[in-house]
Amino acid sequence: MSALLRYHVELLLRSQRWPAPLILYAAFLAIGVQAGQPVLDSLGYAAAGLLPVAAWLVRICVTGEPPAARAVVAAPHGPARAHLACLLTALLAAAVLGTAATLVVTLISDPASDGAQVRVARPAAGAAGLAAAYACALLGAAVGALTHWPLLRSAGRAVPAMLLGALLATVLAGSPAQAAVSGLVTGSQSGRVPVPLLPLAGAALLAAAAFAAACALTARRAP
Amino acid sequence: MHRDLRLNAVGRRYGGRGPWVLRGVDLAIAPGTLTRVEGANGTGKSTLLRLLARLDAPSEGRVTGRPRTAYVPERFPSVLPFTAAGYLTRLGTVHGLSRGSAARAAAAWLERFGAAAYAGTPMARLSKGGSQKVAVAQALLADPELLVLDEAWTGLDAEARDELERAVAERTAAGGAVVFVDHDPRRLAGAPDATYTLVDGGLKARTGGDGTGLGPHTVVVVRGAAGARLPPDAARLVSTAEETDSGRHRLTVPASRSDVLLRTLLAARPPWHVVSVAPPLDPGSRA
Repeated sequence: MSALLRYHVELLLRSQRWPAPLILYAAFLAIGVQAGQPVLDSLGYAAAGLLPVAAWLVRICVTGEPPAARAVVAAPHGPARAHLACLLTALLAAAVLGTAATLVVTLISDPASDGAQVRVARPAAGAAGLAAAYACALLGAAVGALTHWPLLRSAGRAVPAMLLGALLATVLAGSPAQAAVSGLVTGSQSGRVPVPLLPLAGAALLAAAAFAAACALTARRAP
Repeated sequence: MHRDLRLNAVGRRYGGRGPWVLRGVDLAIAPGTLTRVEGANGTGKSTLLRLLARLDAPSEGRVTGRPRTAYVPERFPSVLPFTAAGYLTRLGTVHGLSRGSAARAAAAWLERFGAAAYAGTPMARLSKGGSQKVAVAQALLADPELLVLDEAWTGLDAEARDELERAVAERTAAGGAVVFVDHDPRRLAGAPDATYTLVDGGLKARTGGDGTGLGPHTVVVVRGAAGARLPPDAARLVSTAEETDSGRHRLTVPASRSDVLLRTLLAARPPWHVVSVAPPLDPGSRA
């Protein structure tokens, strides 16, 4: 499994396709986050933006390998494990990106609630932001896994489905990502740092289910 | 191989209601055997190979056994961001080798297929033949228990085609199973332990005309101790064997297996003496 992961990580890094979502996410943060703004609010914004980026990273990882190359890599351990390594690589990349963004936002933001009325401890805010970012990365990866091969193959269907899925996962009430982000935003109003462990667990569960479904289908769909 | 790979009443169709590509296929692949699958275009040869490589799950029936498998696809478009040697080294680790032995195996197999000069060439710049050599080399890196070759010879130059035939003979001699599809009926002629033909989605074992009569054979004359029997490993490889004189044996062996036969006889205890090796004869002209 570690050899498969290394292979997919190198494939992603050498693909020349990762800079696009990275630049878009950086631009998204540059527009919405400024030094000295309330920390929890900015962390919520940063986490929400990570969700479509995670889905996009899954797209890059899954479509980065031609079917023949995928079959070759799948032969030693089975297609399900090869696909899992591919999905985990995208999730890992999104988590790294989320960690970096959370760190930067935590450090440059104002450790206070909206209107600078209540002080907010930076480490606690950072931890909450990290949990929210991971929840969004997990859910975004789940959306990506469910909107690409082996479930959807043509880009004409995969891309709109992915974008719609990412949008719904961000805004729909009941979505763990939405819960984590709105927890940070309301926490910023009150000055109380939320502990978004429940959304994180929910997102992990959904991602595990989505990954399992995608991996189980690898051997059932036409290559 | 821990267990034979076995297909039991296997059927495969794509999509919920698509037509059956294969139906009612029973097939067992034992270790150390060479199996050929034939059939007209579109009869499901590639699908059968994907089922054997466990890349595809059957729509009905059961597949049991999971040997360590390597697979060579029909076409290998190499738009991957690695050099040939870099890709093979990574694939070697995926096949279970350490990084060091994967790099050594990659270099060795590129050399064997006459592609050592492309080791540092980016995959995207390889010719069709060059990328096919890489596809074949990755499958042989880690001595797989099951080697599945889907038209693997297509696109290779003549030397590489012969080298792949020899590599297949080595693999089966070492106890690995090999299953292959090739459009050339002379491919590995005389060597397969079993040949199957796909007709109307079903599998038929082809009997007769398969064993000794086809393909170029090498004539090897060897001498052992008086009255010594041919070692069993060698006896399995040859098509015919006759004792012409006391301790002197005249063997005919499919050309692809001659190297393995000589290696087996020379490594036997006590070793056999090789008297002569005659170049492959065309079928028919063989006395």
